Amino acid sequence: MFWNSTYNELLKIAAKPRSYISIAGITIIVGIILVAMQIDGMTYISFITQPFEQSLNFEGNILNGNLMAFIILQLVIIHIPLLIAFVTGDMVSGEGAMGTIRMLLTKPISRTQILMSKYLAGCAYTFIVLLWMGFMAVVVAKFIFGIGDLMVLKSDGLDIIQADDIPWRFLCGFGLAYLSLITVATLALCLSCFSENSIGPIVATMGIIIVFTIIGSLDVPLFDNVRPLLFTTHMAAWRSFFENPPPYDEIIKSVVILLTYITVLLTVAIQQFKKKDILS
Amino acid sequence: MKKNILIFLVICAFCDNLLSQSQNPNNLLRNVLKKLQIAKDYSVEANIKVDLPFINMLPINAKIYTKQPDKFKVESKSIAIVPRQGFDQIAKILKDTTQFSAVTQGEEMIEKNKTTIVNIFSQVDTSDLILGKLWIDVQQNIILKSQLTTRSNGTILTEYEYGSQIAYGLPDKMTFTVDIKKFKVPKMIAALTSSKKKQGDTAEEKRRKIFIKLQNYQVNKGLKDEIFVKEKQ
Repeated sequence: MFWNSTYNELLKIAAKPRSYISIAGITIIVGIILVAMQIDGMTYISFITQPFEQSLNFEGNILNGNLMAFIILQLVIIHIPLLIAFVTGDMVSGEGAMGTIRMLLTKPISRTQILMSKYLAGCAYTFIVLLWMGFMAVVVAKFIFGIGDLMVLKSDGLDIIQADDIPWRFLCGFGLAYLSLITVATLALCLSCFSENSIGPIVATMGIIIVFTIIGSLDVPLFDNVRPLLFTTHMAAWRSFFENPPPYDEIIKSVVILLTYITVLLTVAIQQFKKKDILS
Repeated sequence: MKKNILIFLVICAFCDNLLSQSQNPNNLLRNVLKKLQIAKDYSVEANIKVDLPFINMLPINAKIYTKQPDKFKVESKSIAIVPRQGFDQIAKILKDTTQFSAVTQGEEMIEKNKTTIVNIFSQVDTSDLILGKLWIDVQQNIILKSQLTTRSNGTILTEYEYGSQIAYGLPDKMTFTVDIKKFKVPKMIAALTSSKKKQGDTAEEKRRKIFIKLQNYQVNKGLKDEIFVKEKQ
């Protein structure tokens, strides 16, 4: 019954036009980036190599599919939480707004199982969105620009990673990016349990992400102790896999913090949903 | 007796003339250039190891092609970093003797080799070369060390080790010490970089070398010009 319920939730997501906004958005954004880079990518590359150009020559295929995938990931992944919140923030409150939640709860499964089936469907949707982004960023970009070493610009220099050392980094990077998006999905679902309309949880989720991001990027000593605890700080942890060598202790710390957020938010969501008065 | 003294003096004068001719900086440079010009073209497999404080990368393999007078290409599947004052810079400079004046500075031992130090100064305001210092092994007419300061590329110190291709004046190993100013992220893309910054490390700052090992030279095989056409990225 639980799996049937999850399947039904997936069908509901598939039936909503807003679910396709993210797919369309990613396709358009990545398409624009690829076309722009195809036309004027070397100018972008010269920004990276500029500090070294007086003394050094960079030879080889610098503007390649791996670099494109990295740039796309970097630019697009900060916008995906918004697209995820559109769908997951509506999963419970949307039912309330449409008046279908009463009927949903007549199913012979517990409220926890109903919420978990919604959550699982939300996670599956997030996975599909990320998979599409991965396809566009890695497969399409490599098809257009070819394969080559990845030049990663950091605040203290350049890391050049050899082509055969890259696939596992993308795999792990996407894995960590998925965990951070699941955190956003869980937050949106949790807020959705407290609301009776669709817009509230979506806007609240985005609001929290924006506030956390601002606090995280403000270089004020007051926030030094708070910053490592914000989930938005760890949403960029996927980048760590592109350092040489990757800082595994920091990655593990990020994973633990994101998992803690997921667990706490999901527990709160379940508790709220279990005691929720169905008035609609 | 007088005759013997006269002969001795003539021999001394002749030897002195020979010695001064051989130590004449322009002659030294001419001999070096002559040797460098024996190889009209060559290709060579290179192993490039970059040891710079701001660049973190593994050693890579590449193939280098050069052809006189000024063709040069690095072919590599990986991203290769080579000094701008590359392999043919000295030959290019020495070719036009009107561009510089040369002065012998003295002698210096580099490992077991006695070298003569020749300084070259630009004579033309528009010349790219500002100042050069060459450590020349007079016996073999090869450069063991060079320090070139140019307007376009700054100062690069190069050390050469020779082996199989010494007859052509082509080295088996080159060590470049490059002059890179402190790394600053370009403002255009600063937002896309990770914010973690390493603390300044003086030992790190000293790492400014590029090591290039060269092997399997193919000299004067008649490289075609098409090889040097850069593929459009």
